[in-house]
Amino acid sequence: MSKQNFTIQTQNLTIGYKSKSETITIAQNINLGLEKGKLIALIGENGIGKSTLLKTITGIIPPLQGEVSLLHKSLQSYKPLDLAQELSIVLTEKLPPSNLTVYEIIALGRQPYTNWLGTLSKEDTIKIEEAISLTEIQHLVHKKHDEISDGQLQIALIARALAQDTSIIILDEPTTHLDLVHKATLLKLLQKLTHETGKTILYSTHDIDLAIQMTDEMIVFTPTQIVQDQPCNLIQTGIFNTLFDTEHLTFDATIGKFKIK
Amino acid sequence: MRHYFFLVVLFLAFIQCKESEGSANMNTSAQNSIQHAEGFSIEKYDGFSVVKVSNAYPEAKNDYTYILHKKGVQIPDSLKQFTSIEVPIKKVIVTSTTHIPALESLGVENTLIGFPTTDYISSEKTRALIDAEKVRDLGSNQGLNTEVILDIQPDVIVGFSVDGDLKTYKNLEKNGQKIIFNGDWTEKTPLGKAEWIKFFGALYDLDEKATEIFNSIEKEYNSVLVLAKNAKTQPTIFAGSIYEDQWFLPQGDSWAAYFLKEANGNYLWKDSKGTGSLALSFESVLDKAKDADFWIGPGQFGSIQEILNSNPNYIHFKAVKNKNVYSFSTKKGKTGGVIYYELAQNRPDLVLKDIVKILHPEVLPDYELFFFEKLK
Amino acid sequence: MPLTKKQNLLFIILLLVMVFLFLVNISLGSVSIPLKEVVNGLLSQEMSKESWEIILWNFRFPKAITAILVGIGLSMSGLLMQTLFRNPLAGPYVLGLSSGASLGVAFVILGTGFLPTFISSFFLSNYGLILASSLGSLLVFMAVLLVSKKLKDTMAILIVGLMFGSFTSAIVSVLSYFTSAEKLQKFTFWSMGSISNLSWNEISLLSLFVIFGIGISFMVIKPLNALLLGEKYAQSIGINYKKTRFLIIIATSILAGSITAFAGPIAFIGLAVPHMAKLLFQTSNHFVLFWSTLLLGAIVMLCCDTIAQVPGNDITLPINAITSVIGAPVVIWLLVRKKRF
Repeated sequence: MSKQNFTIQTQNLTIGYKSKSETITIAQNINLGLEKGKLIALIGENGIGKSTLLKTITGIIPPLQGEVSLLHKSLQSYKPLDLAQELSIVLTEKLPPSNLTVYEIIALGRQPYTNWLGTLSKEDTIKIEEAISLTEIQHLVHKKHDEISDGQLQIALIARALAQDTSIIILDEPTTHLDLVHKATLLKLLQKLTHETGKTILYSTHDIDLAIQMTDEMIVFTPTQIVQDQPCNLIQTGIFNTLFDTEHLTFDATIGKFKIK
Repeated sequence: MRHYFFLVVLFLAFIQCKESEGSANMNTSAQNSIQHAEGFSIEKYDGFSVVKVSNAYPEAKNDYTYILHKKGVQIPDSLKQFTSIEVPIKKVIVTSTTHIPALESLGVENTLIGFPTTDYISSEKTRALIDAEKVRDLGSNQGLNTEVILDIQPDVIVGFSVDGDLKTYKNLEKNGQKIIFNGDWTEKTPLGKAEWIKFFGALYDLDEKATEIFNSIEKEYNSVLVLAKNAKTQPTIFAGSIYEDQWFLPQGDSWAAYFLKEANGNYLWKDSKGTGSLALSFESVLDKAKDADFWIGPGQFGSIQEILNSNPNYIHFKAVKNKNVYSFSTKKGKTGGVIYYELAQNRPDLVLKDIVKILHPEVLPDYELFFFEKLK
Repeated sequence: MPLTKKQNLLFIILLLVMVFLFLVNISLGSVSIPLKEVVNGLLSQEMSKESWEIILWNFRFPKAITAILVGIGLSMSGLLMQTLFRNPLAGPYVLGLSSGASLGVAFVILGTGFLPTFISSFFLSNYGLILASSLGSLLVFMAVLLVSKKLKDTMAILIVGLMFGSFTSAIVSVLSYFTSAEKLQKFTFWSMGSISNLSWNEISLLSLFVIFGIGISFMVIKPLNALLLGEKYAQSIGINYKKTRFLIIIATSILAGSITAFAGPIAFIGLAVPHMAKLLFQTSNHFVLFWSTLLLGAIVMLCCDTIAQVPGNDITLPINAITSVIGAPVVIWLLVRKKRF
């Protein structure tokens, strides 16, 4: 893999939290490379540090040691506005109550590019339209955000991240509250987006079997190691059996799914 | 036997005599000697007087009757239910600065032993007594210091009330104090108010002196009245000032308005009914009084500059532009008490002379303003 | 986002209503001046009675201008507070500013026993009260700012502001308990608020502050819109949250602080008008809300003042009473009609 293809790279990254009194290290020596056009899933059991990793990669908290580079520049060196043009996020938290329409939500994704008043230029409008058509939500565009279902809102927020026109989109557990149909729709959309736009998309999830099916690569966060590889390779190494420390589950490599004992 | 009979008769006769000596003669109907004041009356009998106060406070439903008697005089049974006070009194507490001039003109200010908030008193004679620590400070009139009063044991407390709230006074009466109400401030006419000096006269058994003093005031007053009536002009006047967004002026039947009328002036709100104050907006007053000749009684202002500082819009009044603004608040005693509030009620002749001098200076060429001052 | 046809129409209507109310406000008062005279006075400055000219230009015109300044200033700061704290019950005074102002004024009016005479008599003048109020607000403002630098959580700032408010109110209560009736009345009068009797000098000064505060508010329209998604999203689209929060607090403090200093604490306007704007225009877009809040603020204040003048009668009602009595039912009516918050 040539270096140019990496959107985000980590080198000897150590993640954790530092306060005046103590330092808590979550994981050390993390070396990851997230390429263009790839859909990558981050999995691991609850509390293992997935959020911490995401927060460090997005620059919300600083690394304890090592480096994160975005487009070959150190993440810390980015100014907020420049960072916003390369990295966007999609969260599952509820939006504060307001009268925002779906269109307005998507339009907010253009803020890193608009003038001081936030006026939309022609190019901004084009990007918004692109995002709408990619996510196929034209019929929802004029509805208020509390008039649509959770699943539809999720898609709308993805459209917003798309409109932000960044090299990488990071989603925090996007499938967690959705039913199977919507999970499938969402993952198919993410797949399509990486193939059609060449963006890197990283998402954290508990739906491991779906991730195995749909993603190009997976980052597996176990108590002892963090491994990034294609799903088939990961199955072969048997890493999924070390994922959970419980006697109730076993990973069936032939079908690529967990079974309850 | 005959001796005993004689002794018994003598004894009985003796008792009879004693009784008739003590019981006062109620047969002569006494005349009320008060002419102008409507709030009190004095009926003199042999050895005692019956003082009735009918306006102790606004909306007072009851009259208060007091029996002022000389020492040793017995009061008829029909009058025993009323408060009786032995006169002349030796120690007095008064509760309003308007009572002080009466004491002074009767020459009995040295009987004053207590007063609420002594700083309000302006008159020099009484201030000397206060400085010599002969007069105890009793706090505020709403909350007289009961302990001090019981300590100094006055013969009588001359009280007054603005609203009929008599809690403190009732409390003092329960503790054996004698209260007599003075309602002079409710009188409608200046002479009526001044006549209350006879009220004090009765307390000190100085009725003739009080009458003399009042008569001379009345005479002066009436002579100025005649002079004023003959004045050639009737200048227009407005009064009061803005306080908290409202302009308070005296109503047409109030004491202040009465003087303006008596002095042959045209008070622009003389037709308003009532004895209190009107609350108007600045706009309304400006609209009516913009071109009035005189501004008499502009509240607390001490100078034209102060007036303009408080609100530059006052400049639109002709009276301000021509500096024809007269105030009584500038003349104060040593401790800040306004002299007008203390003395004016008792000397309506001086007040009338002041106002006539302001409005018609040619009528009293040699007179100098006593209470009022022309603001600079 | 471009304005819809309906929104454009609404703006034009509001503008016309504002101009109309302005004219009504200067035509009505204790003294009855015929409308024809008022129009003459405005156009050519010549009226039948000189006193009417004085009343129009020296009393009613300044009062109407003050009403507009107060209306737009308090409404704008209310809008800022409601968006920053994501709380519909927030108003210009949640940072404790009016409590600080009350404390300053209370010290000066009620606590004169503690101050030497020349200081207390200066403060009892017009400018003195303005200064005392400003100093009080400034004190609370700096305390809130200090605390906000240490606190990451914005909600905590809201609570701190409310706590400062309670604290200063407690002190004012103690001062009130020990004071005389006249002083208490004077303080109560200040607390009722008054937009009359500001000199042209004072109005110029006030407009400077208000324009400055509105200017800062205009600059944060874009971040305010970002905040509609929540703090995390706002940061991710490039908004410097701390700087935005700082600017919002400054703008609010300048607006609420200066208005309270010159006109006393005017209740309810800052809380109600942003809601009216949101309900009328059915949008959260702060560009639209900025202008609609301004217009509605001016309209509501002019309306309340006209009512407070009790035209044709010599009584004037305190402005605070009117703003609360009118404001609350209007918001409830709008809520019931539109059914959407």
